[in-house]
Amino acid sequence: MEEVLLKIEEVSKHFGGVYAVNGISLDITPGKIWGLVGPNGSGKSTLFNTVLGIHKPDEGNIYFKDRCITNLVPHQIYDLGLVYTFQVPRLFQALKVLDNMLVAGRGHQGDKLLFSLFFRKSWQKKEIELAEKAMEILELLKLDHLALSPAGELSGGQRKLLELGKGLMASPTLLLLDEPAAGVNPNLGRSMFERIEDLCQKGLSFFIIEHRLELLFDFAHWVYVMDKGKIVLEGKPQEVAQDPSFFHIYLGDE
Amino acid sequence: MDPLVYVLDFIVLVGIFSIFSLSLNIEFGFAGLANFGKVAFVLIGAYTYTLLSNINVPFYVCLIAGATASAIIGFLVSLPTLKLREDYLAIVVLAFGEILKVIVKSEDWIAGGVWGIPVYPAISVTGSSARLDMVINIALVYFCLFISFFLLQLLANSPYGRVMRAIREDEVAAEALGKNRAKYRAQVFALGSAIAGLGGGLYAQYLQFIDPYMFAPMLTFTIWIMVLLGGPGNNWGALLGAGLVQLFDRGANIVKDYLTLPIDPSNLQYIIYGILIILVLLYRPQGLLKESQVKTKAMESIFNGRGFAKNRRG
Repeated sequence: MEEVLLKIEEVSKHFGGVYAVNGISLDITPGKIWGLVGPNGSGKSTLFNTVLGIHKPDEGNIYFKDRCITNLVPHQIYDLGLVYTFQVPRLFQALKVLDNMLVAGRGHQGDKLLFSLFFRKSWQKKEIELAEKAMEILELLKLDHLALSPAGELSGGQRKLLELGKGLMASPTLLLLDEPAAGVNPNLGRSMFERIEDLCQKGLSFFIIEHRLELLFDFAHWVYVMDKGKIVLEGKPQEVAQDPSFFHIYLGDE
Repeated sequence: MDPLVYVLDFIVLVGIFSIFSLSLNIEFGFAGLANFGKVAFVLIGAYTYTLLSNINVPFYVCLIAGATASAIIGFLVSLPTLKLREDYLAIVVLAFGEILKVIVKSEDWIAGGVWGIPVYPAISVTGSSARLDMVINIALVYFCLFISFFLLQLLANSPYGRVMRAIREDEVAAEALGKNRAKYRAQVFALGSAIAGLGGGLYAQYLQFIDPYMFAPMLTFTIWIMVLLGGPGNNWGALLGAGLVQLFDRGANIVKDYLTLPIDPSNLQYIIYGILIILVLLYRPQGLLKESQVKTKAMESIFNGRGFAKNRRG
């Protein structure tokens, strides 16, 4: 049997009487790009938020690397290597773009109070290493010339890019992206996905919500389709695209 | 009164209030924790200092004990609110400050209750004059101020300072990036309380007398005005704010004797504070000095050296 990275088991989440996520089960295996599509309000982002511990599921369990993460809080889930980028970018507006990236850095001794105050030598090397990595990612996202500007000054598309950058900076095992290409210009959107493919070949796994189907279907290995809180269809992108019910769900009747 | 002593007294108080405003700045300016009960931690520092020094404990031990007691109690008070939104913290500490004041007021056995308690000077020199006492106080206060400022500047320009600011900007996003906001908040709150406690000890030993009425909420708001005026998130701003507010305070005190006003002139400084805070919040919400940015060696090495220059050309 193939190793499973993320296992979602019969997960439900309701808000009042509305079941945003209704008994979803799915498996994510490593080294692939997984897509999640569906009409607006079908519960995709809620599913991601539930996996990441921002919401607690009402029913069901979530496992990451065979460890139950249902009741963990977000920072513990980050520590395990599962990272999320928000659909509406949540940047640290007053901080510089580079600082935004560095906050996401993993394993930094300087994040600890006593180390920051008294053992300043112990983290200088790590800090430089992280800053260089951050610059590389920013260069890739064409944000390097803005590294010293406050994040609050970025345009809408640049904010999306920085949000993705923070996700990459966190060196995840599995990265959950919520509409990474929304509001990003077409060329950059494609090069972003090409980069995602590169990283995927290096062993990083992705689970991506995206409405830009032409992009997602070119790069994803497997696509889940959600409607009204349930998985209604899954398969290889070409198969899903040709399935008549997919058009029915996504575009409505005629 | 000796005019030189008056000036020296002003300098001492600016130093003590700078310590207070630095302690609020780390909490509110950097970490976004609205501490409306600052006075409680000043009180803890002051009373700890007084009670210990009155049983002949050396002054530096008293100061450290005051800071430690304040830090521990600050940590405990912040615990119930760490996972809630930050406004709850404001409400809890505001109430805590008032409760503490009432306890100290009504329990005579602690430190004389409403009658207050005298404090002996930290360093007394035989045959000293008022001027010499002032100079000794200035040395002591500014030594403590320098240490606090130095540590807070280190912290502001470190990865820890970056995380503090990130939590202030968006706690959910910071949490999703692996930052345990409850832990950071508790640490910052304890640190801020420790510095306030240190200031409280200095305040008590300088005034040589404390009673519960000195620790009214107005003291908290005075410290708030200093931080808001100087610029939250900037340690230099906290110093500037403390200096300016003390100056206004003195100015109003002098001027009111020469004015005939339709109001009770002793309220003049509160009116000035009120106008000041409205003007600052309307026209310069970021304060006089802008928020300082994180500066670390890594950034310097990247931007002075290869990284940025290369990218710029390319």
